[in-house]
Amino acid sequence: MSLTTPSEPRVREFIQSTFLYARPDLHLEIEDDLLGQGIIDSMGVMELIEFLQNEFSVTVPDQDLTEQNLGTIGAITRYITERAMAMGPGSASAARP
Amino acid sequence: MGWAIRHRGPDGFGYVITPWLAAIHVRLSIIGVESGAQPLGSEDGRILVIFNGEIYNFIELRDELEGKGHVFRTRTDTEVLVHGWEEWGEGMLERLNGEFAFAVHDRRDHSLFLARDRFGIRPLFHALHGGDLHFASEVKAFAASGLVPMRPSPRGLDQVFTFWGARPPQTPFQDIFALEPGACATWRNGRLRTRKYYHLRFDENPGPEPSDAIERLGELMNDAVRLRMRSDVPVGGYLSGGLDSSITCALATRFSERPLETFSIGFEEPEFDESYFQGLVAEQVGSIQHDRVISGPEIARVFPEVIRHAETPVVRTAAAPLFLLSRFTQESGIKVVLTGEGADEVFLGYDLFKETRLRRFCLRQPSSVNRPRLFSRLYPYLPEQGRKGEFWQRYFLTASEPEDPLFSHMPRFVMSSWITEFYSAEQRDALGGWDARTALRDDLPDGFQRWSALNKAAWLEFETLLSGYLLSSQGDRMGMAHGVEGRVPFLDHRLFEFAAGLGASSKLRVLREKDILRRWARSVVPAPVEARAKQPYRAPDAEAFIGDGASIEYVADSLSPEALKGTGYFDPRAVDGLLRRVRSGRASGFRENQAFVAILFTQLWHDHFLAPQREQDELVLARADVAMDHQAMAIN
Repeated sequence: MSLTTPSEPRVREFIQSTFLYARPDLHLEIEDDLLGQGIIDSMGVMELIEFLQNEFSVTVPDQDLTEQNLGTIGAITRYITERAMAMGPGSASAARP
Repeated sequence: MGWAIRHRGPDGFGYVITPWLAAIHVRLSIIGVESGAQPLGSEDGRILVIFNGEIYNFIELRDELEGKGHVFRTRTDTEVLVHGWEEWGEGMLERLNGEFAFAVHDRRDHSLFLARDRFGIRPLFHALHGGDLHFASEVKAFAASGLVPMRPSPRGLDQVFTFWGARPPQTPFQDIFALEPGACATWRNGRLRTRKYYHLRFDENPGPEPSDAIERLGELMNDAVRLRMRSDVPVGGYLSGGLDSSITCALATRFSERPLETFSIGFEEPEFDESYFQGLVAEQVGSIQHDRVISGPEIARVFPEVIRHAETPVVRTAAAPLFLLSRFTQESGIKVVLTGEGADEVFLGYDLFKETRLRRFCLRQPSSVNRPRLFSRLYPYLPEQGRKGEFWQRYFLTASEPEDPLFSHMPRFVMSSWITEFYSAEQRDALGGWDARTALRDDLPDGFQRWSALNKAAWLEFETLLSGYLLSSQGDRMGMAHGVEGRVPFLDHRLFEFAAGLGASSKLRVLREKDILRRWARSVVPAPVEARAKQPYRAPDAEAFIGDGASIEYVADSLSPEALKGTGYFDPRAVDGLLRRVRSGRASGFRENQAFVAILFTQLWHDHFLAPQREQDELVLARADVAMDHQAMAIN
């Protein structure tokens, strides 16, 4: 099993289809504030975590539910990379095809 | 026209036609059953009164007026308005304790005076068209008349999608207005002048709680209920299982000559059900308890009727159980009930008030990591997974700055107005940059910014939610759909003024809501009910319409791209995305459920009130009504 870096386009696609379907024309920059712009609320964060777990096999402990980790698309991709590395190759799997 | 609102007064009707006034009154007979026909004129025929509601202190006012030489022909509260107007004119309003909407026509100067109770419990709409003033208890009377154009108001709708209801005088209909709570209006020489005769005032320097405050509260509560038990037909009670309706039902038994009949709705879905507490209170007060369990699909089935009666889109399904409750009550032979509405506004019961206090507490020390953890104590009835972490806390802390006059309500307003993300381009154009929140900021009382945070929050709650939503879409309109009159002891103005004179800590002690009411209620309601944390009244939402076992035909029709394009309020592409989320069971959050409910009900509302064919049907029905009314008069 090899460790891979999460794909930013896949995270973006998830955010767009899950939270931005009412604003399909909005282009999201990689460091746009997901909370401040009202894109993700607290229930949405739970959905995001479920996605990260299913998609990248990364568990997110409660103490990691911060804006620093999950506040932008860039933060999410960085967090997944760091988390996967911390968990080790035996704990994190490659992104699903 | 009368036929269109016959549900409000199934016991009788009357009408008057003069060169200056044409009016129809439908009657729900409660006081002076045999002698209360309306419109009611003065002895000399100078004035004519048309009245909906109750004047609870009519006996005291009648005694006073008789002492001044007025001669009464009936024992009704309506006649108190006739003689009260003769004696005091507009000054009469300050003497009335009740929930009312009435019109006084003066035949000398052909004027018409309209007034509505202090908190907007009873409805009164008006519209100017063709040089005439039209007024009615419900908008559907205008629709049936064919005399008032029925068009949507983008601003009224924007208020619905922000505050949950249009803020009087605005309604969701263009150029149809609600007389504001505590307001009156005079129509004379083709001009309508409106003024507020009652203002919500809170004491900004209340001092410590008076030593006799509990005793005084008890006197006021008892008297508010005693007056509201005045009726020539039996008075029952709605019993939710919460503190407020438990108090009103417990007190009602003291003033009822017969065993009190209480009515409750339970839910098949356990997260909404309060049957245990309802039974507990009924047993303690010794009432004859009637209860019925309803399900999500049942709510979905009756919703078109709910919207027809509410006359506005709504963003929650909570009106439907109240519609079913009034039907159930009416079928049991009761047409007057006490309800617990108003207590959460008067005694700071809502979670929003705690939230305001906590948000300010956190923002005073933004670097604290411990203070925001208190947010996990809010909303314990919501799913736990949504109440964790920094995102949950940040939601409250970033909604607005403490300097914002709408600070207390911004989390709710922001959450609700997510619905507006689904607006079509045409709807955005129609608003032209106007938005409900900015308009509200521009329309606050003088000195508002100097008020305490909780007094500001209380005022906003009264102003944006109580009359325009709770007392109408969940109150009067759902009760009157089946000819059931709700009476609201907690909105006795003496009780409000007493509570408004107390310091905030008497009402919200740290994070314990309705503190003084709880302290007093220990001797009135069962201990588990007194100790129970505020349980918001909720009902199943989107899942009831699109879930396992739900098969509601109108949903697909109303939300089809063609239907959405036809009404023009929402972008079909955006709504399609929401529908996919709801259908897949992924729309678990509050804001998506609210958006689904709001969009679906806006479509239903439009179909009923604004679709061209429907308008034609109403006109046909109206013509038939006139024929029927004349026929009925001929028979009588």
